[in-house]
Amino acid sequence: MSSSLINPVHVESTGGLSVWVRGIGATITGWPAAYRAALAKNRRRTILLTVLVATVLLYPLIYTAIPSGLTRILPLPSSPVIVFMLIFAIMAIGLNVVIGFAGLLDLGYVAFYALGAYTAAFLASPHWGGVSVVLFSNVPAGFPGIHLPFMFIILVAAAVAALFGALLGAPTLRLRGDYLAIVTLGFGEIVPIFFKNLVNVNFSFGPIQLVNANLTGGPLGINPIDAPGLFGIKFGVINGFAPVYLGMGLVLIAIVIARNLERSRMGRAWMAIREDEIAAEMMGVNTVRTKLLAFALGAAFAGVAGALQASYQGATTSDFFMFSTSILVVIMIILGGIGNIWGVIVGAVFVQYVDKTLLSWAGQRMADIGNATGLEQFGDINPSSFSFLLLGIALVVMMRFRPEGFIPSRQRAAEMHVAPPGQAIGSIGLIEEEGLVPELDPTEPGGDEDPEIAEVPGEEPVGETIAESRGEVTDEEQPR
Amino acid sequence: MTVAGTTAQGPTPLTGHVPDDQILVRARQVTKRFGGLVAVNAVDFDIPRGSIVSLIGPNGAGKTTFFNMITGAYVPTSGEISFDGHAIVTTKGSKVRSLKPHQVTALGIGRTFQNIRLFSTMSALDNVLVGQHVHLRSRWWDAVLRTPRNSLEEEASVARAHELLAFVGLDERPHAWARNLPYGDQRRLEIARALATSPKLLLLDEPTAGMNASETRDLTDFIRRLRSELGLTVLLIEHDMRVVMGISDRVTVLDYGEVLAEGSPAEVRANPRVIEAYLGRGAAEEA
Amino acid sequence: MDDQLLQTIIIGLSNGLIYALVALGYTLVYGILQLINFAHGDVFMLGSMIALTLLMMLGVTPGMDVTTTIALIVVVLLVTMAITALLNVSIERIAYRPLRNAPRLAPLISAIGMSFILQNVGLLWKGPASLGFGDVIPNTNVLTTIFGFDTAVELSLKQVFVAVVTIPLLLVLMGFVGKTRQGKAMRATAQDPDTAGLMGIDVNRTIAITFVIAGALAGAAGLVQILYNNTTVWNLGFRFGLNSFTSAVLGGIGNLQGAVLGGIVLGFINAFSDRYLSAQWTNAIVFGVLIAVLVFRPTGLLGQQVADRA
Repeated sequence: MSSSLINPVHVESTGGLSVWVRGIGATITGWPAAYRAALAKNRRRTILLTVLVATVLLYPLIYTAIPSGLTRILPLPSSPVIVFMLIFAIMAIGLNVVIGFAGLLDLGYVAFYALGAYTAAFLASPHWGGVSVVLFSNVPAGFPGIHLPFMFIILVAAAVAALFGALLGAPTLRLRGDYLAIVTLGFGEIVPIFFKNLVNVNFSFGPIQLVNANLTGGPLGINPIDAPGLFGIKFGVINGFAPVYLGMGLVLIAIVIARNLERSRMGRAWMAIREDEIAAEMMGVNTVRTKLLAFALGAAFAGVAGALQASYQGATTSDFFMFSTSILVVIMIILGGIGNIWGVIVGAVFVQYVDKTLLSWAGQRMADIGNATGLEQFGDINPSSFSFLLLGIALVVMMRFRPEGFIPSRQRAAEMHVAPPGQAIGSIGLIEEEGLVPELDPTEPGGDEDPEIAEVPGEEPVGETIAESRGEVTDEEQPR
Repeated sequence: MTVAGTTAQGPTPLTGHVPDDQILVRARQVTKRFGGLVAVNAVDFDIPRGSIVSLIGPNGAGKTTFFNMITGAYVPTSGEISFDGHAIVTTKGSKVRSLKPHQVTALGIGRTFQNIRLFSTMSALDNVLVGQHVHLRSRWWDAVLRTPRNSLEEEASVARAHELLAFVGLDERPHAWARNLPYGDQRRLEIARALATSPKLLLLDEPTAGMNASETRDLTDFIRRLRSELGLTVLLIEHDMRVVMGISDRVTVLDYGEVLAEGSPAEVRANPRVIEAYLGRGAAEEA
Repeated sequence: MDDQLLQTIIIGLSNGLIYALVALGYTLVYGILQLINFAHGDVFMLGSMIALTLLMMLGVTPGMDVTTTIALIVVVLLVTMAITALLNVSIERIAYRPLRNAPRLAPLISAIGMSFILQNVGLLWKGPASLGFGDVIPNTNVLTTIFGFDTAVELSLKQVFVAVVTIPLLLVLMGFVGKTRQGKAMRATAQDPDTAGLMGIDVNRTIAITFVIAGALAGAAGLVQILYNNTTVWNLGFRFGLNSFTSAVLGGIGNLQGAVLGGIVLGFINAFSDRYLSAQWTNAIVFGVLIAVLVFRPTGLLGQQVADRA
């Protein structure tokens, strides 16, 4: 062994832009080979996933082809619902970075959603009627207001949200878990209130003077907002199912970013902080800055989602952003699977589906039954007004029986059934005592293969368990 | 400046023997009060470069508290600590300033814990990778954009992690979760993780706790290797006297937060005050 | 003193006492379980709906004779308190007790879920619109009619009623927790449940009693809300819960006197904000106060009596 073992790794020249581009190119062109490898390893699962992905991609076309009679029997989500599923999927991925990766409870996520939406409203609408800035936009030149291209707005929205995330996090991240939750909740309420009330601003500071300025459009909000546009195609709510593909593209980017973060130096640092913050700090992790980064990066996702939503719908108002939206995203993560990118996407899709499609469909069917049988009570029941109830019950039940969600990351699943730090050794006993799911606690996860989807390893622990080896140990050496 | 700690035979002063730049850790008048309780009382303590020093004493003597102050986990009530020429703790009047633990780690102090504090649902490899965190240069945007710096650094750090695991004898199951490892392997993993932080000084807090005789021997040899092969300075808290006497260059005895005695193992073992502290006055009189 | 100022103070004090009653519930539960009971504000909301329903069932209307009115109000008060106490202890049984040993996240999320459930119950029961109730206690100005002052300031009989109901309850509660054996058991359990259990205290029962008390207080507050503010709505719990929780935090969570002090201060903040600023900013200010307290002085004004068992 050389003494260089003690030295940190040092990477010299990294080759610059060309190496980077080539690396990305290799990843992209390598996918047929990667696909073949996946096929070889687990044929059935790969084919299943392929079919699933194909169905998802072709869904909008399938939907339009279905005769209307069938939609009475099958509650199928329409295009706008799918777009909202995707918007919330982006948020769920982002909040998963905060809650799932870093273990910080944020109950005010809607604030960043709102910031993103209003960023789009400010940068792509006639709101600032006094000026006219039209760049790379479908809007005719000279049109009042600021009109910037959608892709640029998304980046600005992400930056704005991240900035506010950092501002919120800086003084508050050192608070204990439940206090942090309350503070974020407060922030989540204050931001929409500001957007609602800044309608009559009188403000002068040096050369800046505002008289009766309507900064945010108040409760009426800002509209119309330019629909997203790329290469001449529009992706607004009136543009059929094109927005679905824009949404899918953004979700894909979100997944890639989240995954890259998860498997990086930062991702490991977040995991370590979650496990044992003090030990992480002692191992050199700047816990304050690392948590702040999780907060800010997580917020950025919500900013993008908000910008997408406002542009898609063509309007935004402060009434749209409520505490319940923050909790809705939390529910998506908790139901879907905490810490697991795919799990939270499933959670987002499922909750949106229930909320927007299933419940109203059920209501209509109730009405049908009522009309058919003559029992009016059926028509009076409105399942949509039960949504809070169902979500609440889901939360209580999940916490009781499966707090990690349906498709969690393995770490989080294990953690949820584990004692606090400093008692890690006893944890196996805890799981066995409670008879909880031992197969989520693998000894040989098999390295880098897709750890997102919790799988059941078939192997038994190799070597002694901790309990067994402890039994051998004696205390005879201690002098006291 | 002399090293404090008076015994009947007098202290073995370091200064005069060892030039200042060979002192890795210099602690002066370090005191820690918890409310009314004085855990550490005006302790002076030096660690020469390349030495293996043991800190011993009855339970509650303040050893782990002292460790915690060196690493920045506790802020002393007063005193000064410097490491490798850098100030860790400074006192101006009544204001005491201490570096944060992650800053101390960056300077080159690594540690293990009395009760193992591994990241239990992370693999052994990942635990060691977290240890490398402080010296890695990749930032979050490198990760998001998959820059060459990120890929190359990840490769290199994984390779180094495997080497570190092999060094402590753990390369068999690098992907096993830390909490699934047998107790002895967990202890070794903690050391590997501490080594990953590229320390100059390694603090080991009761490393042989729970070990049988042969494991203890292995660990003792291992600690020697840390010095001979990696050039580390080691500070141990230990209760196992054979380990202490076997590998220490110097032994410092703490009792009730004060330095009771200091010197070579032989000197300390013969010191009547030390014997009295451990075994009672009767035993001391017999000695 | 300027009339408007005095009036604002009176209004602030009255609402503040109601906040204090609910805040006590938050602080009691937090003290003993280290749990922020999100659902508590909604128990208060349901209490107000229950009180409303009972008042209507018993035919209490404005203009009835004094003795009947008082007697019926007392009956409604006691029944409402009993129902909300039962409701609260059931919530503890269903949503919190099974999670006693789970990571801290779990009961908090469960509490949020419970809050949603209760809100929806209120929504389904009484509909989305806010409900009104007449002035069963006449709004007569005590200062002019009874004391004969010549002033524009109003101290309504309703406000006197608020004080008459809330202040004795607060005192009884303080006495109970401070002086009785059960109160001592509660304080011991709040400090260290494991040792309390070893000393022979039935921890489960003590926790249950805490929830009973908190629930009863919320029910009483609900009745006062109906008779003083004359209104209730399914999402009343959220705004009230916020104010009450902020009161508890401001006063020092876990500290009973602090909860009362905090409630009164929050009453003032609300009243002053409504009067001198604008009602639309009041919520933001209350949240601002909450964040400021947590960031700058998390132990609150009167400090925390419960050891920090993070």
